[in-house]
Amino acid sequence: MLRLYRSLLALYPAPYRREFADEMLSVLAQVEEEAAHATAWSKISLRTREATGLLLGALTEHARPLTGLSNAPVHFPRRSRMRSEFRFPKATAILMTVILVAVIMAIEKAKAISASLPPSSTPIPPIQPEHFSTVTTFLVILALAFSSAIAGWLVVFMLRRSGVQRFSDVRPAGTAAHKS
Amino acid sequence: MNTSSITEPVLLILLSLAERPRHGYAILQDALEMSDGRVRLSTGTLYGALNRLLKDGWIERYDGADQSRGKQSYRLTATGRRNLQAEVSRLKQLARVAGLRVARKET
Repeated sequence: MLRLYRSLLALYPAPYRREFADEMLSVLAQVEEEAAHATAWSKISLRTREATGLLLGALTEHARPLTGLSNAPVHFPRRSRMRSEFRFPKATAILMTVILVAVIMAIEKAKAISASLPPSSTPIPPIQPEHFSTVTTFLVILALAFSSAIAGWLVVFMLRRSGVQRFSDVRPAGTAAHKS
Repeated sequence: MNTSSITEPVLLILLSLAERPRHGYAILQDALEMSDGRVRLSTGTLYGALNRLLKDGWIERYDGADQSRGKQSYRLTATGRRNLQAEVSRLKQLARVAGLRVARKET
């Protein structure tokens, strides 16, 4: 088991390893000594927790200089303080990352398609603008605004931040008092 | 690190070192005992926190205790103790208000 822990410790950044690897191995050896007398289930639970802790710790230490979160408690799930109402939701960050990746992939795909096409000898004529009437233009803008609003609301709904969901969480003042 | 970012594992580590200098395994055992078996820190989590606390000057290495088998001990600095006292005061005040509110609701 110590071999597995040692290989997980190898995932940490070199300066961190130099500073803490020996101490951590010593602690892990003591934890293993303690686990020798435990039940099979306790051993599995303890080793899973230690391996996950090392893996997450290695990821955190690598991410720290990249994210600039040198002082943020990024790998502590249990906070003794309550969450702020105005925290940037994690789901939004994930959604934005997914969109960014999709855009980059679309650009790369477009470049690949462009490169695979044979060079055309005939010049492409200039694109002529369509002539819309005022009413058509207004309807197109209205349709675009409406579809954007629906898309925005869907995103808000998925993030459980819509007005409907917020209202459903609100309890009238004094409800408990009436019940008792 | 300011006191607003103290998490429960960090608080337990600081409380463990507030009593006397301790090495890694002793901190794990003490945190488990203080939390009545609820918080069992992993070694990765413990050393991530110790690294951060060392960098922020809340704790320091202590060479006075047993250093066999790589048992490096740590102790609170004056800054760490001051910040811990501030956090404990905040928690006391919160617990006092919580007690009053809960009592008011039940009557």
